Amino acid sequence: MKKTLSFLFALLIAASAWAYVDDALSFAYEAASPYVKKGFSVREDAWGGDLGVKDQQAVQAQLFKGNEYWFCLGTDVKGAVLSVNIYDSKGNLINVETTRAGRLSAVRVEPPRTGTYYAIVTVHKSPEERTGWALVYAYK
Amino acid sequence: MPNILNAVLAAGLLAAAATTLHAQKPPEAVDLSSFPAQSIDDVVVPVPSEVFIVLDKLGNPNWRSELRDSLGRQSGNRAQVALLLGTVIAEGFVAVEAEDSEKVKDIGRRVLTLSKAINVEKAVLERSKSITDKAEVKEWLAVRKEFDGALQDVKAAMQELGDDDLAQLVSVGGWIRGTEVLTSIIRKNYTTDSAELLHQPALVNFFTKKLDNLSNKRLAEDDLVDRIRKLLIAIAPLIGDGEGDVIPSENVTRIHKMTRDTVAAIASKGA
Repeated sequence: MKKTLSFLFALLIAASAWAYVDDALSFAYEAASPYVKKGFSVREDAWGGDLGVKDQQAVQAQLFKGNEYWFCLGTDVKGAVLSVNIYDSKGNLINVETTRAGRLSAVRVEPPRTGTYYAIVTVHKSPEERTGWALVYAYK
Repeated sequence: MPNILNAVLAAGLLAAAATTLHAQKPPEAVDLSSFPAQSIDDVVVPVPSEVFIVLDKLGNPNWRSELRDSLGRQSGNRAQVALLLGTVIAEGFVAVEAEDSEKVKDIGRRVLTLSKAINVEKAVLERSKSITDKAEVKEWLAVRKEFDGALQDVKAAMQELGDDDLAQLVSVGGWIRGTEVLTSIIRKNYTTDSAELLHQPALVNFFTKKLDNLSNKRLAEDDLVDRIRKLLIAIAPLIGDGEGDVIPSENVTRIHKMTRDTVAAIASKGA
C-alpha cells in the first residue's frame, strides 16, 4: 500500500511538472504567433524547465547567418517577470529587438556569424518559489 | 511612523523599478563559463530547412537534383530503421524545397511505414495524412511544419517508450542527410559565406556525446552507430574551430563524400 501510494504520489508530481511546462509552452507559442503572420516558421522542438527567482539558465542553439530568429519565452506563473537574451559564443549580447507583455517575452536576432549561440533565460521576479518556463524559436 | 512607511514604499518602488530596468536592459556581455555545465548541455537540433532557406537566399539551388531516387531499404535492425527514418524526414525537407508534391507524399507514406517498424506509428498517423493533404494543395510552409512535427512526435513517442537512444539516432540520421545535401549544394557553387553554414561545432559535439553515452548496449555496439561515431570525429576538425574561420572547399568536398557514403550505408541496411 505504502509503495502504491509512493508511486501514485510520484506520478502526481510528474504530472504536475508536465502540466506547468505545458502551460508555459502554450504561452511561448502564443508569444510566437504574431511572427507566423510575418512568414516565420515556428519550431516544434522547445526547451523548458523551472527556475527560482534570480536564477538563470543558458541553453545552446545553432544559428545560421542569413536567417532571422525570434526566441519566444512563456511562463505559467501570473505576475512573474522573465526575460530571454541571446549571446554569442564569446558572451556578447546580439539582441536586435525585444518585446514583453504579461507572461510572454520575445527577442529578435540576426546572427552575425553561423555558429553556437546561447539563450539566457532569467527569472527577475515571481510570486512562486519555482517558475515554469518554456522557450521556442521561429526562423525565416 | 508615516516616514517609515514612506521610506518602505519608496524602497519598494525603487526595487520594482530596478527589476523592470534589469529586465529591459540586459548586460552587454556575460561570462558563459559561470553557467553550470548541465545547464548548457542541451541543444535544440535545427531542422534542415533552417539552413536550406539560407542557401535559397545565397543563390538558386537546384533542389530537385538533390532528391534521391530511392529512400532506402529497412532491415530488422532498430538502429538502422531509426537512422533511416531520420534521413527520410530530412528528405521531406528537400522535397519541400523542390516543391515536388508526389515525392513529398511518397515520403509521408514512408515515414509511416518506418514508424510502424519501431512501434511509433500512432504518433505520426495524423502527421502523415496531413503531409499528404497539404502537399496535394502545395501549402509548402505547412508541409515543412508537418515534417518538423513528425520528427518531434516520433522522438517523443520513442522517449515515452523508454527509447531515448533511438530518438537520438533519428536526429543524427536527419542531420547527416541534411549535411550531405548542404555540402552537395555548396561545392557546386563554393563561397566562403555558404561554407560557413557548416560551422556547427556544438551540434557535432552534442551528437558525439549522445552516441558515446547510449545506455542500450546493443545500440551502442551497433556497426552503423560505430561508423557514425567515427564520422563525427572525422568531421569535427573540418568545420572550423572558431567563429568566422574559413572552411575551405576541400573540406566541403570531404564532408560531402563522408556523409554521402554514410547515408548510402544507412539506406542499404548495413555499415
